[in-house]
Amino acid sequence: MQETDINLLVGGPQGGGIDSAANMISMAFSLAGYNIYGIREFHSNIKGRHSYIHFRIMHERPKSLKYPVDIMVALDPDTLFEHMFDVAKGSKVVYDSAFNTFNLKNARMITSDTMTRIQDELAERNLTFDVKGVLDYFKSAGIDVIAIPFDKLINENVHDGPANRYYNTLGAGTTLALLGLDEDHADDGIKFAFKKKPKVIESNIKVIKAAYDYVKTSPIKVATLPTYPATPRMLLTGNDATALGKLMGGLRFQTYYPITPASDESTLLESHEEMKFLKNADEVVKKAGLVVVQCEDELSAINMANGAALTGTRSATATSGPGFSLMAEGIGYAGMTEIPVVITFYQRGGPSTGLPTRNGQADLLFALNTGHGEFPKMVISSGDMEECIYDGMKSLNYAQRYQMPVIHLIDKTLANTMDLVPEIDVKKVKIVKYNENTNHENFKRYSLDTENGISPYGVFGKDIFWMTGDEHDELGHVTEDSAMRDKMMEKRMQKLITADKEIPLEDKAVLYGDENADITYVTWGSQKSLLLDTISELKKQGISANLLYLRMFEPFPSEYVEKVLRKSHLIIDVESNMTGQAAKVIRMNTGVNIENFILKYNGRHITLDEVLRSTKNIMEKKTALEVLQEGS
Amino acid sequence: MQKGVEDKGKYNFRNNITIDWCPGCGDFGIVSAVTQALSNMNMDPDDVVAVSGIGCSGKTPHYLNIAGVHTLHGRAIPYAVGVKLSNPNLNVLVMGGDGDLLSIGAGHFVGEGRRNSGVKVILYNNSVYGLTKGQAAPTLPLGEKVKSLARPNIMGKINPITLAMASGYSFVARAFSSEIKQLSAIIERAIKHEGSAVIEVLQPCPTYNDVNTLDWYRQRVYKLEDDKSWNPVVNKKEEDEEKFDTGYRKSLEWGDHIPIGIFYENNTIPSYTNRLAGIVPDYLKYPPALQDVSDKDGYTIVDPIKTFEEKDIE
Repeated sequence: MQETDINLLVGGPQGGGIDSAANMISMAFSLAGYNIYGIREFHSNIKGRHSYIHFRIMHERPKSLKYPVDIMVALDPDTLFEHMFDVAKGSKVVYDSAFNTFNLKNARMITSDTMTRIQDELAERNLTFDVKGVLDYFKSAGIDVIAIPFDKLINENVHDGPANRYYNTLGAGTTLALLGLDEDHADDGIKFAFKKKPKVIESNIKVIKAAYDYVKTSPIKVATLPTYPATPRMLLTGNDATALGKLMGGLRFQTYYPITPASDESTLLESHEEMKFLKNADEVVKKAGLVVVQCEDELSAINMANGAALTGTRSATATSGPGFSLMAEGIGYAGMTEIPVVITFYQRGGPSTGLPTRNGQADLLFALNTGHGEFPKMVISSGDMEECIYDGMKSLNYAQRYQMPVIHLIDKTLANTMDLVPEIDVKKVKIVKYNENTNHENFKRYSLDTENGISPYGVFGKDIFWMTGDEHDELGHVTEDSAMRDKMMEKRMQKLITADKEIPLEDKAVLYGDENADITYVTWGSQKSLLLDTISELKKQGISANLLYLRMFEPFPSEYVEKVLRKSHLIIDVESNMTGQAAKVIRMNTGVNIENFILKYNGRHITLDEVLRSTKNIMEKKTALEVLQEGS
Repeated sequence: MQKGVEDKGKYNFRNNITIDWCPGCGDFGIVSAVTQALSNMNMDPDDVVAVSGIGCSGKTPHYLNIAGVHTLHGRAIPYAVGVKLSNPNLNVLVMGGDGDLLSIGAGHFVGEGRRNSGVKVILYNNSVYGLTKGQAAPTLPLGEKVKSLARPNIMGKINPITLAMASGYSFVARAFSSEIKQLSAIIERAIKHEGSAVIEVLQPCPTYNDVNTLDWYRQRVYKLEDDKSWNPVVNKKEEDEEKFDTGYRKSLEWGDHIPIGIFYENNTIPSYTNRLAGIVPDYLKYPPALQDVSDKDGYTIVDPIKTFEEKDIE
């Protein structure tokens, strides 16, 4: 029997309950023993514009997404127009039969350039500019088109509020029914999705029943999906996972200014200021709470986080590109005055305001070069949920241990990925504390009596010392003495050498797959899991590939990366930016020049089918640069 | 340092670092007033932190024998708030110039009024940017030409007292750097006040401001408290409208007569730290700075499943 592997797309208007539908579907499948992997795409808009979630459902934990999807649910006509080519022969398209007469020109929320592109595509195929045109195309392409009378089904079964309130549930219910998932699991999905609104559970379950009954009585053939025992897991996004990791890592002070896609982390933390502890924690230790401050701007956010660190508090901030730009000076101050602070940096499509709700990995060089002058900072990056959790913990550890700002890079794709995390190991990462000062008299905060560059850390309330962004002496007072300047510069930078020595290689760079493979992919961030899937897919096709996955950019594991790449055959750099920034970092640090690229900068995540196609083109030497364009 | 001094009353809050301000600078008066206030209060030196921005005023913490942070231009308030909210037991003083607090740091000045986290802002007002050679500060009136300006000031001025009141500070006062006794008393009172305070200090810049000189101020300032009927203190909510209105109108007085003293003191507005105490359990007793974050074996004490219960599938 072939293993279940379903790619599913649910599209609808922003604010139209897409999130609830997604929760419902993921819950239903996870309770049926499946794993899901989903990515949410949306406009910078509150209500009305097209948004969608692309899921993959498998028994094994999926790590990437594939086009064409097996089933697409359209909760608005825009979905049909926008995703015409995301379905193929054998796919099913479910939509509201009321859309049958919908004309493209009435799709007001489709922006003019997208509209022109859709019209060109329809015209090219001699199709009319309306839903009928799209449906004609679907039928001619061998795609199953399933029209559901949304209003009729809802009005016949529930009388609690307007029908459109239930479109998402009906769409989700129909999908689950068509995929052959049993109804009990669908009901459980509803109960989970509306955990916080128990009043609406009953009516939504009626809608699920209506959907299942409709599919049962229709001529559509539905196979039954096997179910498995469900293991306990947590449904997390990258934002959630990072927030959790930081909390576990001892975070007690977080600042932020609202920005997409970073603030979901901070607002989640804000709703968990009252913390929940493990049984074995001390009673006194348990009396702890987190402080989250919404600041007046990102200048305040970074500098307030710096300030909180001065009392010995583990503190952090989270932001995205525009906010990070404002933080540059504060990060430099933390470097100069040796403040342990974490900046969780959610990258989105830049430059400037760019694509606020879309993916990007174009801030790597900016993160590495942020702030004027030369100062120590660490730059780390996460690529999946587990890394978000444990790197969230480690980022705080690194900051404390090396007394410097730690920039933790996460991309929007990962921030908005939904994944079921099976187990969180509370003993995987030990909490590392700062090098405590024991001499409270005549305290030298910047003592030069250190070989590894790490001086004793002082805490306001216990120690009297001074700090300044000016060059300073051991006490922290301003100095312009040329010899002291050299000593302090060298002491500060020594900490990066120490960090490089102390941190294990697996936290910096990892080679996945056969060492002597024919192809070596190089990547970082959310493409990690995608490329791991790519490698297994290629293996099935008889092609050997491995992945050099980068996790730490400062300090950079130059020696190891060079060793791996010098032995590699065909090296392909895969990144979500236009200029191959990680490849530049590699060349700068190792002299190895990567010549083949698969790059994407349209703001959408990279999919498995795209990488496979592009890899073939590169292998056949058709091109050395593949620019990916998929995604609505 | 003299941290070993047993009798706190004898603690010297001034250290031995050489002050490099110009002779006649108003900043000297502020240092004297701050150290006097701290001595008067028998303040434990561990319990007070000085935070400054950039410029001549920014050097102040280095001259005080307490923990001091000389931060970035305009950012003293965020640092101070970070210190205060992570450890509300500390008394946090902000020392900043008019340019630092009202131009490059104006957003934080206003933001802190809304927060009212309990930091005490001492605003050094000499109407010029001294350390960069005398450009116009945001407190320099329109049309005024101090000596290093190429032309009379082309921008209008901000009134720090009215702005502080409009921003929501619950303690707003003005002093003069040569009236050290009054300034010291105001600082002491501000430290005892629960919410955030702004104390504007009028001061000469003998090098770059040849208009608002020591004598210019001496001839104009008068003390609000000399009028026995002056009472700016709000102890009941219903007094607020009238007292705010009186203080606000008084803040507009400028020219031949310049009032110094307390314009507004509202003891009915809860501070940010008290508001937080209503949300974060045991916040005042175990603020972030005083918490341990690991168990005896060095592992996390946070339960991931219970923490994000709503995301748990079982």
